[in-house]
Amino acid sequence: MDALIGWWDDYFWGAVIVGKVFLCSLSLMIIFGLLGAMAKLSNSRIAQNLAGIYTVVFRGTPPILIILLFYFGSAITLTAIAQIIEPEIKFVDVPPFWAGTIAIAVLVGAYATETFRGAFLGVDPGSIEAARALGMSNLQTFIYVRIPEMWRLALPPFGNHMLSLIKDTALISIIGLNETMFVAKQAITVTGQPFTMYIVVGAIYLGFSTVVTVVVMGVEKFGERTTVGAL
Amino acid sequence: MSTEPLIQIRNMNKFFGNFQALKNINLEVNRGERIVVCGPSGSGKSTMIRCINRLEEHTDGHIIIDGKELTDQVKDINAVRREVGMVFQSFNLFPHMNIIKNLTMAQQLVRKISKTEARKTAMEYLKKVKIPEQADKYPIQLSGGQQQRVAIARALCMKPEIMLFDEPTSALDPEMINEVLEVMVELANEGMTMICVTHEMGFARSIADRVIFMDAGEIVEEAVPSEFFDNPKNERTKEFLSQILSH
Amino acid sequence: MSFDLSLIVESVPMMLAGIGITLKLLVVSGLLGLMLAICLLLMRISGKWYLNIPAQIYIYIFRGTPILVQIFIIYYGLPQFDAIRESIFWPILREPTGCAILALTLNTGAYVSEILRGGVLGVGKGLMEAGSALGLSSRQKFIYITAPIATRLALPAYSNDVISLLKSTALASTITIADMTGIARTIVAETYAPYEIYMSLAVIYMIFTFGIQKLFGAIERYLGRYTKREG
Repeated sequence: MDALIGWWDDYFWGAVIVGKVFLCSLSLMIIFGLLGAMAKLSNSRIAQNLAGIYTVVFRGTPPILIILLFYFGSAITLTAIAQIIEPEIKFVDVPPFWAGTIAIAVLVGAYATETFRGAFLGVDPGSIEAARALGMSNLQTFIYVRIPEMWRLALPPFGNHMLSLIKDTALISIIGLNETMFVAKQAITVTGQPFTMYIVVGAIYLGFSTVVTVVVMGVEKFGERTTVGAL
Repeated sequence: MSTEPLIQIRNMNKFFGNFQALKNINLEVNRGERIVVCGPSGSGKSTMIRCINRLEEHTDGHIIIDGKELTDQVKDINAVRREVGMVFQSFNLFPHMNIIKNLTMAQQLVRKISKTEARKTAMEYLKKVKIPEQADKYPIQLSGGQQQRVAIARALCMKPEIMLFDEPTSALDPEMINEVLEVMVELANEGMTMICVTHEMGFARSIADRVIFMDAGEIVEEAVPSEFFDNPKNERTKEFLSQILSH
Repeated sequence: MSFDLSLIVESVPMMLAGIGITLKLLVVSGLLGLMLAICLLLMRISGKWYLNIPAQIYIYIFRGTPILVQIFIIYYGLPQFDAIRESIFWPILREPTGCAILALTLNTGAYVSEILRGGVLGVGKGLMEAGSALGLSSRQKFIYITAPIATRLALPAYSNDVISLLKSTALASTITIADMTGIARTIVAETYAPYEIYMSLAVIYMIFTFGIQKLFGAIERYLGRYTKREG
């Protein structure tokens, strides 16, 4: 256990990186998910098909593969583009943070698309009719009736998506992100105690998972305050 | 055959947490008697009969079935359940088994009867409830009335001494109620000891030996049908009867 | 930047050579994980706190930490202990494949046990009461009533977990196993062609996923045959 002395700092900053990845990928995941859901629910055949391809591809492919593809693929693409502009450039490096964050946001976004789609469909049509009857515009109905109802329905599975984001962050260490797994790797070469070091990583992720789970439960309770006892 | 009552309930109370669902229940049922229990929702009638086969646990008091006291002991509970058959409001047929299997499974598992014997018994009772041709179908393929008749046959296959009916026709469409009541009347006429929780007052009038009215967890009035319907003594009974018989 | 089709044609057979390992990981971990899941389920529904609580803790830990961390703890971490290296399990734990199977089993066991528990909770209370009224023992009720019905209810969620397990097998490549992803990473390292290789690998996984979905769809239809109304 004393092997850990001196490494707590590094683990802390590694955990901060995990937090940053989470916040960035969460925002992107929500955007991708909502866009995907709206595309699937729209009247445009093209949009529906594109969204369909999106969900099939990113739900059927291993996350590690998506991360590797985004990281190495973007490096190659950006290098090629950069070389058009400035032929002397040898290599454009994409920061693992961004390659990884976008990769997992796109990946979990495919699941979020299905969740949001189901939640939109689950909104009581009666409420929509009532809003229309009261004279509310499409946009107002969307903002004040559809979205709040949809969120309440989407929350439990959405909580799982958030947990997926957190856990997938560990995969980004494979492409060099210096979060906690990476710290552990370095610590091991110095201390020779792989078990201890990786257990700490596990504990840090467990901590994050617990916080997210507790927050989601709290939000669910809050959302239920007006509906407990109703069907 | 013993002359002791088949069912004796003495000073029975049932609490759900702080809520008292049954207050000081005293009831004796003799062999061959047909009892109908009626009362408003929440009066405890279902709870009372569910205590008899230990689907609910009575908090204090005594329940004695055919001389055996009902306690926590699994041995005692199983002994009682062998003798008591139950028919539920929502039929509760096992959806993943066909009709014959529904009727034979408990015979084989609980009474250790051979498969052929069990099948024979099952077909006998299916004939008795008038739907032998449905033997190989699955519950989902039968109407509500047919399902309930199968449920009665299933309970009868275990050759119980007592049959408990918990609102057997309340979940049925009106046109199917009669087919089930007919089976129950036949059973009653054959001398089966039965306790029936129901709103079917016509049934009560024609076959009950005694009608019991329960309200707020207590037995309020108990009488033979002619007395009960024509000359109710208690105010609450009168009120209930006027509500239920007015339409 | 060009898209080299001939490279794909060359590489796909090489990647498919790893299918045996991928399948082995999937099937062995899947079956062992299912057995573990049933044990955990029985512990969870036993009603005895000294079985229920440990099971809950186990499930919480294995669902709350990234599977990559679990793999690393087992493969890199366990050899830290002399007791492990001298035990009879060492031949298994020394090999990356053994470690991968162990990690995948422990992980999927936790998820599947919750899925099974969801199925058990979905069995109508009335059916259990009918079983009790007929005199069936707890064991008999579980075997003849709960288990068949819960299995059918749990099947959709279980098929999703099998697909997840398939995708998780790709992580074996991070501990030197030459499964399909492992082979792909080697090829990319040599050819610098992430798009061609990773995208074709993704297609392979997607076909696999599709196959699993079809298989489970057929099983669901077979088990649910008595829920269809005839005539």
